[in-house]
Amino acid sequence: MPTVVLMDVSLSMTRPVSLDGSDEFQRKNLAVHGLNMLFEHMASNYRLEFTSLMAFSSLWELLVPFTRDYNALQEALGNLEDYDKTCVEAALNGVSNVVQQEWGSACPCQVVLVTDGSLGIGKGSLRHSLQTQKHRGDDKKFPLPFPFPTKLFIMSVANAEELQMTDAMDNLEELLRLSGGDGQIFTMEGPLCMKSVQAMFGRLIDHAYSPFHAVLHCGNLSSDVQVFPRPEPIVMDEEVEPMPRSVNIDLEIVGFIEIADISSPPVISRHLVLPINVNKEVDEVGTGTTDELEEEPSASQMAGKSPNFCVLLHGSLKVEGMVALVQLGPEWYGMLYSQADSKKKSNLMMSLFEPGPEPLPWLGKITHLGPISEAAENPYGEDDSKSPFPLQPSAKRSYAQNVTVWIKASGLQTDVQKILRNARKLPDKTQTFYKELNRLRKAALAFGFWELLKGVADLLERECTLLPDSAHPDAAFQLSHAAQQLKLASTGDSQYAAFDHNIAPMHTDFSS
Amino acid sequence: MKMFSVAHKTVFVVDHCPYMAESSRQQVECDVLTKSRAQGVIPLAPVSKSLWTCAVECSMEYCRILYDVYPLHKLINYIVSDSEFHILNSWRQEDQSTHELMSALAAVGPPNPREDPECCSILHGLVAAVESLSKITELQHERRTSLMDTAERVANRGRIICLTNAKSDTHVRMLEDCIQETILEQNKLAAGSDRLMAIQQCDLILVHIHPQGEDTLVSDRPKKEISPLLTSEIHCVRAGRHLSTKLNILVQQNFDLASTTITNIPMKEEQHANTSANYDVELLHHRDAHLEFFKSGENSRDLHMAGTSTRENGLKETITLKWCTPRTNSIELHYCTGAYRISPTDVNSRPSSCLTNFLLNGRSVLLEQPRKSGSKVISHMLSSHGGEIFLHVLNSNRSTLEDPPSISEGCGGRVTDYRITDFGEFMRENRLTPVSESSHDPSGKLPVERAKAQLERHTRYWPMIISQTTIFNMQAVVPLANLIVKETLSEEDVLTCQKTVYNLVDMERKNDPLPISTVGSRGKGPKRDEQYRIMWNELETLVKTHAGATDRHQRVLDCIIACRSKPPEEEERKKRGRKREDREDRTEKNGSKDTDDKSWQESERLKGLVDKEEQESEVIKDSPDSPEPLNKKPRLCTEEVQPPERAKGPVSLLTMWSNRITVANSRKHQEFVGRVSSVNNKFELYQQLKDENGMDVHENGKASR
Repeated sequence: MPTVVLMDVSLSMTRPVSLDGSDEFQRKNLAVHGLNMLFEHMASNYRLEFTSLMAFSSLWELLVPFTRDYNALQEALGNLEDYDKTCVEAALNGVSNVVQQEWGSACPCQVVLVTDGSLGIGKGSLRHSLQTQKHRGDDKKFPLPFPFPTKLFIMSVANAEELQMTDAMDNLEELLRLSGGDGQIFTMEGPLCMKSVQAMFGRLIDHAYSPFHAVLHCGNLSSDVQVFPRPEPIVMDEEVEPMPRSVNIDLEIVGFIEIADISSPPVISRHLVLPINVNKEVDEVGTGTTDELEEEPSASQMAGKSPNFCVLLHGSLKVEGMVALVQLGPEWYGMLYSQADSKKKSNLMMSLFEPGPEPLPWLGKITHLGPISEAAENPYGEDDSKSPFPLQPSAKRSYAQNVTVWIKASGLQTDVQKILRNARKLPDKTQTFYKELNRLRKAALAFGFWELLKGVADLLERECTLLPDSAHPDAAFQLSHAAQQLKLASTGDSQYAAFDHNIAPMHTDFSS
Repeated sequence: MKMFSVAHKTVFVVDHCPYMAESSRQQVECDVLTKSRAQGVIPLAPVSKSLWTCAVECSMEYCRILYDVYPLHKLINYIVSDSEFHILNSWRQEDQSTHELMSALAAVGPPNPREDPECCSILHGLVAAVESLSKITELQHERRTSLMDTAERVANRGRIICLTNAKSDTHVRMLEDCIQETILEQNKLAAGSDRLMAIQQCDLILVHIHPQGEDTLVSDRPKKEISPLLTSEIHCVRAGRHLSTKLNILVQQNFDLASTTITNIPMKEEQHANTSANYDVELLHHRDAHLEFFKSGENSRDLHMAGTSTRENGLKETITLKWCTPRTNSIELHYCTGAYRISPTDVNSRPSSCLTNFLLNGRSVLLEQPRKSGSKVISHMLSSHGGEIFLHVLNSNRSTLEDPPSISEGCGGRVTDYRITDFGEFMRENRLTPVSESSHDPSGKLPVERAKAQLERHTRYWPMIISQTTIFNMQAVVPLANLIVKETLSEEDVLTCQKTVYNLVDMERKNDPLPISTVGSRGKGPKRDEQYRIMWNELETLVKTHAGATDRHQRVLDCIIACRSKPPEEEERKKRGRKREDREDRTEKNGSKDTDDKSWQESERLKGLVDKEEQESEVIKDSPDSPEPLNKKPRLCTEEVQPPERAKGPVSLLTMWSNRITVANSRKHQEFVGRVSSVNNKFELYQQLKDENGMDVHENGKASR
């Protein structure tokens, strides 16, 4: 989930922070300090995240496009200049453009808006934007909600009391609500100082940028993993189940399925599954700093050399062309597979299915997938030539059965012509003739279209009179029999007009 | 869409009054004469559908599309109204099919024009519709039961689609008022019933149908709130084509559908089989398949939109995607963000049925966005799964996961002798298969739980790398290894396992080489008896993890314990002496243990010892490769290793024969990965041991020299 850091560089950010005795700080310095802390954290714990840095005042500027180079981001923070007034709306439009250009409109995105709670004055101020946002044309719509799913984090370099003195807090809350409500406003606690800004960014890191560690299990084999990006809790139907569902920290493999059988399933998100060495981290916390510098390279080398289940699993999934079905929580499943980025690099990837007992109709209920050893005979065949998948639904769809639709005149004409064509080839086409005739009869009865039955009966009688002398005598018998039956059905007489009744060919015997 | 939105329940109320028997005045020529036959034949007079026929076939088309796109949980209740109401089906899932409805409609038949119009009214049907809406559906019941204390979260909303011929606007208002009152009455009733639910929201869509060329006294009206419980919209439509268009638009609006036209489908001409022309087919599906287009209004200007006029104008809005001729059967896992069932708009037209049949036969088609700029973007895929066709949405944007660190750079990435093939085999054994819900397992466990249990059993002892195991590199152990993981063993299975053990004993007696020693062994190899100790320890470890399961599993373990060779006393003593030199504490720990109790760790340690020797031997770099000691004469006398059982009597012919075969086979086993991937015949073994207790290995290695 890429991150856009939107940094307020308006003049109000240069307001000094009163500190007794020490150097004078500006609010901007505090904000930069906090962001540096965030970038350092990401560089070491969340380094696959793409982050971009934008600065805004009445205009906006993309300082660093999406990157994983956190040095570049920190460097840009060091070179911020001061500009005029705050104009949040323009900046949000900028975010919308930058994100969509890079990631399209389906990729969820996190926006970290860093501001001091002084949200501009007059036209272009947030207050003005929010007041007018309902009365605007399509071409000048307020940028929120963004087309892409958004988490908006507002980092205010001001404490809550300060924001509440004006309507700043109300406006920020409204902004959050407009963004879709998935986010948070962070304010400073206590006096404005380095410590409290650290605490505030610390809360953001815990909330949104802490790595997701889990244990991948396959029976007794297991591996500690980091799942990146963090799987976010989701709400499927707020009305029925308002509590969001989260991915378990124990990911349990339940079995394996061929790639052809799982068949490009729809997924709600994709995540890298990276094996991690938990012991190493414990050591780091435990041991003193002196050994650490010496031992770290060797520790990671050792980690590379000790066998890891993820690597084994990845290798076999890749070779066999299979996926592992993994349980993420109650009635929630996903799949693990090998994903090749390029020819050289490939990775263990996890995709999450939509929560629910039956995420993929062609697999059926996941709880009703069992081991093949229980089946009387191997459902995959002895030579892997068969497969128990896909599951067939109990009812066929309209396009898989021969449905009758006469909405367009051509549909009706085709069906009538089909009958006539077969009528001329009697008795050879007796079966097809009656099949088509019965199909038409059923539809006409259901639609209450008795007039058609009479009409087709007339047509068949006419065909009977037009039969050439060379025609088989059976043809005439069948035609007049069919015509008579249709006429009877068109009376609605329950004896002849029953829907499930079929007109059977007249039994004739010309062999003697 | 919420699970219990108004779309959960739809009631069709179709007017069956005498007036509906009138002709729609739209004529269909069904006698298309060919030129050659035209002479002297009087063509049949064109037929015309009645208002009733028009209403029924258009409503059936609505149902067809709905059932195609939502086979579950979007329910239809069909009611016909004349002098009384006729309910043609129920909310139950098994009643939800067009075939059911057609059968019931056939039983009703067309309206009787001679019936007294005074007795007939659409009101009977509308009242029945409200009553029906308050009836609980299977899904509502199921969710209410499962949610227990939060059962009130299950909402009850629904929609009434009324196809009728109203007399005037006043008549319409009277119908609305009547529905409103019935809802209030019904909600009072529902308060005291388990099978009824109060209606929280009801949307009425009244479609006034009139014959072609006749003025209507009823006026169109957009959706309007009659009360907090009831909204109503009025549509006046001419019967025939217009009615079907209207209902097609309604089904799209009511169920969040959108339309995609697949263009450039190559299809053989019916008349001229050798030429092919390009056709278009329109499909309906959930509109989320177009999410990307709807949202990125700005960015999609490049996208060619056909018929851009909005639905309000009654014209169709569809997105055109281009057919990409499929490659042959490539099995690929696409990154797909959604898959939605489709329904062709014109189901039995030739292009539609050609496309659907092609897909139903198991082919997939990628679809491309036609862009003016000429860039090629594949954004969708059509594919069928078990007779259902889905429109898959493929991700066409930049991935946020691009350029990740390769798995070979992370933990365990540098290990090269993973048992990839063996784990592949393991995966194939642990594939899943659907188990019918009716089949009951005595354990009461769900199939998926049994699958997990099987994984647990199969992984109780599963070394991940080749150099960590001996037994899994031996063909001779396979029968036992395959059987012992089973939940229960038959008497025959036990016999097979025992036979495997006897084979191993026999191999040991003949002093056959084991795979462990052959890896890069040159010069002084580890002693054969030590190899066998390692092998027996490992086998015991494997079987021990299963011994508790059943008595028969225990018997296999007993057999191994009874058969495995005990090293001669002096050997043991010598070893203890060695160890004491190395490390006091370790020796004491091991020495106090019985041989039977020797843990896997010991065998690991021993292997480390063996490995160390090998490594040391490799130091002699320029010496020529010595031939492997395959046919070395046994160093130990056979009596020493002969197990008690074998000493008792003569060997049967079968045992001799199967031993011969097994021995021959074990020689032909697959080449070891270590040797295959060795550089200059060197391959580092037991890296994990060195990592974990490198010091121990080192010391032991030294001591053994």
